[in-house]
Amino acid sequence: MHGLGELEAAVMNVLWQGHPLKVREVLDRLETGKKLAYTTVMTVLDNLHRKGWVTRELEGKAYRYEPALSRAEAAARTVRDVLVSSGDPEAVLMHFAQSATERESELLRRALPKKKRSSAS
Amino acid sequence: MTVAVSLLIGAALMSWFAPTVLARRVVNGGDPLVAVVAWLTSAAAVALTTLGGVVLLLLPNHGFGETLLAALDNCWSSVRHGTPPSVEAVSGVVGALLLLGLSVRLVVGALGSARRRARRRADHLAVLRIAARRDGEMLWLEHDEPLAFSLTGRPGVIVATDGLTKQLTAPQVDAVLAHERAHLTGRHHLIVAIGEAMAGAFPFLPLFKLAPGVLRELVELVADAAAVRECGADAVRSALLKVSRHGAPGTALAMSGTSMDVRVERLLDGPAPASRRRQLFSCGLAGVTAMMLPVLVAVGAMFAVVTVACPA
Repeated sequence: MHGLGELEAAVMNVLWQGHPLKVREVLDRLETGKKLAYTTVMTVLDNLHRKGWVTRELEGKAYRYEPALSRAEAAARTVRDVLVSSGDPEAVLMHFAQSATERESELLRRALPKKKRSSAS
Repeated sequence: MTVAVSLLIGAALMSWFAPTVLARRVVNGGDPLVAVVAWLTSAAAVALTTLGGVVLLLLPNHGFGETLLAALDNCWSSVRHGTPPSVEAVSGVVGALLLLGLSVRLVVGALGSARRRARRRADHLAVLRIAARRDGEMLWLEHDEPLAFSLTGRPGVIVATDGLTKQLTAPQVDAVLAHERAHLTGRHHLIVAIGEAMAGAFPFLPLFKLAPGVLRELVELVADAAAVRECGADAVRSALLKVSRHGAPGTALAMSGTSMDVRVERLLDGPAPASRRRQLFSCGLAGVTAMMLPVLVAVGAMFAVVTVACPA
């Protein structure tokens, strides 16, 4: 069973591979290992549109969908969000080269021997 | 009353001096994991000792140790003569109410934080699942800056950028990923969250107030040590230097004298990480010591008071 999140990711994968697509075309290109209903894919695309991941244009009677951002742009935005939130009190994220704020590191810095402290600052 | 006051003194001394002692140990090459254990058990010990002190104040017969203290009682009564007897009851009730209030605050704060954490994690995951490629347990972002981070939860997730594999050598990448895995297996996000809850509930004692910042830094050192065990200090240090040159926006990484210096310094000429068995032993020892210390200090304080008050 594919969770909605996985389906969204799969649909975005398809859209990121090329030109704007209609729901039917997305459905044909999805490789999820099982047959999906047309309405399912339509719902997923609708959700993605609501969340701002895709833009759409009416063509005849059906929408043609297109990614709002390239994959790299989406990645860059994610990275920015992550870096901004890695110091949050919620502490759900830890960044490999995270540096503490001055206030946080004060105790350890004070504990450094004088010699090292002056060479470090 | 002597016992109660001594216990409170022990708790207070512990919460003032433990941070400095622990920080000095770590900076001088002490095992950071031992410091984490010592910090958390110290906090628990301070809380329990305070609770014990308040309970003793409230008990009509000052609880246990009557035989031992009977001899000191006459002496002590001369010290506190003129004090109305209700002072114990009053201070006991005030202490109990204060403690109750703080506990409620801790619980409410922790619950709120757990809820916010769950929501945060879901938000991050929702975006990551779409923006990143999945490869086993890892998520890869198409991005040129070399970055890696871990997202808490069950299961935890490690996210890295393509830039990491492009700009770092294979051993360096392994070191970074070992570091992040250590965060997840060691439940480091939870440790930091506990620190935040401690500071939120008791922002006036150094042992609690400083907990989030110090624990954040300590878990980085713990994860570095785990990565050194797997990949060697050179790989971890060079990876750290490469990654930290990119990274966080704004001022954060431009500063020196931060945890980054402590980390690089330790990787440069710090001691090799202790073996797992030895580490386990040291952690146990640190925990037991931290638990007993406030009581020992209390006993010391009590004898000091008695000696000063009754030069028999």
